[in-house]
Amino acid sequence: MVTTAGIDIGASAVKLALFRTTGDKTEWLDKSCYRIRTQDPFALTEQAYDEVLKRNHLERKAIDYCATTGEGESIAYSTGHFYSMTTHARGAVYLNDQTLSVMDIGALHGRAIKIDPRGKVLGYKMTSQCASGSGQFLENIARYLGVAQDEIGELSLKSDDPEAVSSICAVLAETDVINMVSRGISASNILKGIHISMADRMAKLLKSIKVKEGIVMTTGGLATDVGLIAALNEAVTAQKMDVKVLSHPDSIYAGAIGAALWGAYRHTRLEELAANRAA
Amino acid sequence: MATTDQIIQRCQSLFEDLHFTAAREWKAAEPDRKVVGFMPIYVPRELIHAAGMLPLGIFGGGDQIEVIQGDAYYQSYICRIPRSTIELFLTKRLDFVDGMLFPSICDVIRNLTGMLQLIRPDMYAHYYDMPQNYDDRVGGEFYVNELQELRHDFENLSGNEITDAALRVSIVLFNRNRELIKELYILRAAEPWKVPATEAYLLSRAGMLLPVEDHNVLVESYIKAARSADRPRRDNCKIVLSGMFCEQPPLNLIKSLELAGCYVVDDDFMLINRWMQEPVSETGDPIEALARAFLHHSTKTSATYEPIEADKGQYLVEAVRKSGAEGVIFAAPSFCDPALLERPMLQDALNAAGIPYIAFKYAENSGQMQPIREQAGTFADSIKLWGENA
Repeated sequence: MVTTAGIDIGASAVKLALFRTTGDKTEWLDKSCYRIRTQDPFALTEQAYDEVLKRNHLERKAIDYCATTGEGESIAYSTGHFYSMTTHARGAVYLNDQTLSVMDIGALHGRAIKIDPRGKVLGYKMTSQCASGSGQFLENIARYLGVAQDEIGELSLKSDDPEAVSSICAVLAETDVINMVSRGISASNILKGIHISMADRMAKLLKSIKVKEGIVMTTGGLATDVGLIAALNEAVTAQKMDVKVLSHPDSIYAGAIGAALWGAYRHTRLEELAANRAA
Repeated sequence: MATTDQIIQRCQSLFEDLHFTAAREWKAAEPDRKVVGFMPIYVPRELIHAAGMLPLGIFGGGDQIEVIQGDAYYQSYICRIPRSTIELFLTKRLDFVDGMLFPSICDVIRNLTGMLQLIRPDMYAHYYDMPQNYDDRVGGEFYVNELQELRHDFENLSGNEITDAALRVSIVLFNRNRELIKELYILRAAEPWKVPATEAYLLSRAGMLLPVEDHNVLVESYIKAARSADRPRRDNCKIVLSGMFCEQPPLNLIKSLELAGCYVVDDDFMLINRWMQEPVSETGDPIEALARAFLHHSTKTSATYEPIEADKGQYLVEAVRKSGAEGVIFAAPSFCDPALLERPMLQDALNAAGIPYIAFKYAENSGQMQPIREQAGTFADSIKLWGENA
């Protein structure tokens, strides 16, 4: 029996997942997501980690492998760190075992990842440093429009005449949105326009890494945005790609899940190697 | 006993001090003291020391200096270390240096000799030619003559005769220094979590700036402190770094590699500290001893000639095996001819041996570490999850 923790420090939230692995059986014990806002992400992570452990009547020493991902590489109490692509790929396969590619759309950037059925990364492409394809951008726009974050997706689905965002630059796109508001364009049409713009960029990334078929699992903070998922499916259809873009209620935990599961794998493997050496 | 943190803090201060205060203070401590600077990758520091002078490693300006005037001296397709070195001279940061040696690593460094002769006509600036033929009868004779010429020049510069006895004392001190650095590298290969790559780097770099006697004490103390330090072991992969022998990487780059999940267990930073793989003979003719050690016990690097094609890159395969590394990261300065021209042949050798590798370039002032972290991080993951030991 191996108990592992996965900690994913993103740009806007800290996600934790606690797992217990016994042979081939995997049990997801607990999960937690904390918004960073103005807090120190590392202090918040430590506090969150201890809270999750306490809730499960565990002490730190009971964790066989504490795996970090995202920006968590400098955490002193972690056993090992895995890169975000590796963990999101593994997490996506855990959430849907038919997954053959992943779209990780977080607060600061988006990434298309091609994987094999084991979760091994075969290729990837990221958005450039421009923030217009990111959750942070969408969050800013929602704030201008006076829309709560969890309303964005539903509002976007109600759009009847989406207004195209003419730029791929976040600064100019924000100017576009201000103009749209002054022209009386509805919030749902503005949000759908932004979703279309983001989805087009992500679909192009997917195409550039030669994803042609199968299930595309979305991960990261924007994976629960139903409006974006709808726009992504429209965009891949427009690009004539035979893929289906899916999400999962726990998609935001994909990185933490992947870290915890890879941690369990590494713990077992390291024990085997040590036993071989001893023999 | 000093802690590793205290020792490294001192090394970091030395590293960050581009006014070379420690060397200035050493020079000012007694009248008629002289300082001789040298560039990567190897010079016989024993000769400088035996003349009563301080050998001072000038390894560029790193990421702490803005190159303004230095850019006017070189084309845009030339690496950064000669530009920042010129900048150090033109901004008077090296105005206390009495001599400079430019080893024959590449044409750029060779041409720097002439530029420094123009910039500082009052200073001794010498192109130090090392043999590329390792036959005692050819390269050996040439090299003995080259060393004798240096001995003569240093006697003139310092005003001190370099006796055989003085040179033997210097050889003993530098042998001890190489022995300690070797011990440090062995410790790091065995328990890399006890000797982070940045600490090993700063400790080695301090040896470029301090008198060898002081550096020996420093390294000895660090090894003692590191052995007993309780540092957590992380599940990182072990890698060998190759290509950083001349223009040094920014410290953040080394840190990023380790944070990305790679323990650096061997490298080619500051090869001068480990150039001789065996101690230089402490008896007999000391010039002959230095020449023989160079011809027969030099470390292998891209900047040394390998006459047997089949042996090309075998030193790197050997370094991987010896240090228990699981892969190689090629990291070379942009526009570095010796490192980049050799890389395809080294990669061939690694391919043949089934050793995984990645490659990227940097400049001493590179500031954007995200792409490097990404590359190194995914490389570490691929080794841990899909490699031989996965």
